[in-house]
Amino acid sequence: MSKIKGAVVVDVDRCKGCNLCVVACPTQTLALTTNEVNHKGYVYSYMAQPDSCIGCSSCAIVCPDGCISVYKTKPATAKPAVVADKVEIVSGVAPLVNNVPVEEEREVVLMKGNEAIAHAAVRCGCDGYFGYPITPQSEVLETLAELKPWETTGMVVLQAESEVAAINMLYGGGGTGKRVMTSSASVGIALMQEGISYMAGAEVPGVIVNVQRGGPGLGTIQPSQSDYNQATRGGGNGDYNVIVLAPNSVQEMADFVDQAFELAFKYRTPVMILTDGVIGQMMEKVVLPPYKPRRTEAELVAECPWASNGNGLKQRGVNVVTSLELDPVEMEKKNLQLQAKFKKIAENEVRYETVGCEDADYLIVAFGSAARISEKAMSLARERGIKVGLFRPITLWPFPEAEIREISKTMKGVLTMEINAGQMVFDVRAAVESQIPVAHFGRLGGIVPDPEEVVNALVEKLVK
Amino acid sequence: MSELNNNTAPQQNEELQNIVCPENLVHSKPALLNDQTMHYCPGCSHGVVHKLIAEVIEEMGMAEKTIGVSPVGCAVFAYRYIDIDWQEAAHGRAPAVATASKRLWPDRLVFTYQGDGDLGCIGTAEAIHALNRGENITIIFVNNAIYGMTGGQMAPTTLLGMKTATCPDGRQADLHGYPIKMTELAAQLDGTAYVTRQSVHSVPAIRKAKKAIRKAFENSMAGKGSNLVEIVGTCSSGWKMTPEKANAWMEQHMFAHYHVGDLKDTEVNREPVKL
Ligand code: SF4
Ligand code: SF4
Ligand code: SF4
Repeated sequence: MSKIKGAVVVDVDRCKGCNLCVVACPTQTLALTTNEVNHKGYVYSYMAQPDSCIGCSSCAIVCPDGCISVYKTKPATAKPAVVADKVEIVSGVAPLVNNVPVEEEREVVLMKGNEAIAHAAVRCGCDGYFGYPITPQSEVLETLAELKPWETTGMVVLQAESEVAAINMLYGGGGTGKRVMTSSASVGIALMQEGISYMAGAEVPGVIVNVQRGGPGLGTIQPSQSDYNQATRGGGNGDYNVIVLAPNSVQEMADFVDQAFELAFKYRTPVMILTDGVIGQMMEKVVLPPYKPRRTEAELVAECPWASNGNGLKQRGVNVVTSLELDPVEMEKKNLQLQAKFKKIAENEVRYETVGCEDADYLIVAFGSAARISEKAMSLARERGIKVGLFRPITLWPFPEAEIREISKTMKGVLTMEINAGQMVFDVRAAVESQIPVAHFGRLGGIVPDPEEVVNALVEKLVK
Repeated sequence: MSELNNNTAPQQNEELQNIVCPENLVHSKPALLNDQTMHYCPGCSHGVVHKLIAEVIEEMGMAEKTIGVSPVGCAVFAYRYIDIDWQEAAHGRAPAVATASKRLWPDRLVFTYQGDGDLGCIGTAEAIHALNRGENITIIFVNNAIYGMTGGQMAPTTLLGMKTATCPDGRQADLHGYPIKMTELAAQLDGTAYVTRQSVHSVPAIRKAKKAIRKAFENSMAGKGSNLVEIVGTCSSGWKMTPEKANAWMEQHMFAHYHVGDLKDTEVNREPVKL
């Protein structure tokens, strides 16, 4: 029998010559080369005293780069190489087989916009909600806490420690392919911008509800539409857009949740429902959407082959959810792909509504709660003999630019009515290309304008 | 794998060649640690920790049921080296990312891999709250007392007196505050099941660290609560020492402030241990 007990094989190309194996070897078997270097220019470890190796594995254990394989003559007391130990699996909060209530409730109910968001989430197969309380949207989380969907559909509901954590929970959950949502109000949405940018960059779907309040800073808890710019320009760092849906009723609050999820997964991108304290707090009749089961794991994997959840790893290879790429050529490519996606969204997903535009001389452009007020203003104006039509963008991004341009061709002037200091007005001006005057009217500080004021502004700024 | 390197006579060489055969293989790189060369500096502790994580996941048979969450810092590219599914988190937010992943996928092994800046500074809120909620995840926390990736600035865990690029005269309590002991903090939280501090500078230490990671991962899967495994590591580049010297310096200075051992193991005792 040989007197040599062991041998090591060093993966020379992996070795960085750190010397830690040399120090760890109890028999001084190893040394670093003195003249020779590997293809990366490192000196490397080798068996300088090969007959003294005892096959103890110390060198391989300490090697930070996993370069060393150790062989030992007398096979170690028959220990099976790698055995998958039994792992006890804890029964979880989110079973994938759903107990969806069978009977479909389609009756008309009266509730707040915020409550409708919560009900709609449970009904549209949402897998998880993560949020932090803030006025005026706390009813979303409160309603979910009362509905206890984890007992019925298996939907996870969690009060996070901050908006920052909540949006990163969205990133985590969305990154595994789950339908996840959060809600907040302006101040909290500002905190979430980092996470939203990461979601856009890593192409993670998710739904974010912003029940706007007035700013800047802590501002006021009263309603506002002053996050228009933030929402429609991406909001965080980098070149990206978020799809923005603006509901104008409690019914649309309920309906847009599922639509937002559909868009989010169709395009692998975050979608925002931009509403405000008026719609959030307003009680209205609503027909809740029918129950839709949460997707099974198989359905999820089929829809999201990119998701990071381990399923099918051996067949498909590793999935990594990341927005990081240090190679500028690759990063430009990645950005161009994102831009192509945003272009496709802009071409296909514009949504809007028009009211009484056919015979109108003047156009009011307004979204969300401002559109509700403007609709009243429109009838008041018509009573005074001024023919006014209403254009309501439903998607704020993509913005119905071409549609506004077309419709404004027969108008004498356009008024944007926004509960802010004038933000959408710039998009409307860009759309009409200075053919006709475009004015803005809005109130600030949490004051919601009344329809009379709107008509007066229209007359003063455009009709005269 | 390269050929056998040695400086022996032909006869002895033949003997060695005979030893190197599959039946005799007793230790090699875990298969989950792929063939890409890691970007870490020579001797960096991250490599050993990656290897241990890969070994444990492999031994538990969880490769297709694991979600790793990588940090911002030197280990940002952890996802390039261990062949499991990954999510790359924003700086400090890994525990929030892991919280959702685990709650939505309760049968998955979910862990975060974070450095001292990520966990002990920008992400303290996310770390403390995930641990306190008892999320069934494991946080692997590599503490080398410096910001390696950005070029050796002061970390929240930098020792008093230790010199870095942003405290060139050494960290001073009155100017910079004290080094934070995240692991001691974690041990106080009711949500944590297993809180331990380990190191990877020697064979016995590495063996212990591996056991700790295994225990933490098993706890996560058994739904026992949150687990924190701190690994006191070296950053030879940031510390401006050879890997060997860095290990010695760590034993002498880091261990004096960051005592190695289990701080809490609810299987043994609910109360945290004072080290
Ligand atoms: S420990 Fe590994 S990387 Fe370091 S010198 Fe030895 S073989 Fe090379
Ligand atoms: S297996 Fe043991 S004896 Fe052989 S080279 Fe490695 S550390 Fe030295
Ligand atoms: S800078 Fe420090 S922590 Fe980063 S890879 Fe190098 S040695 Fe490791």
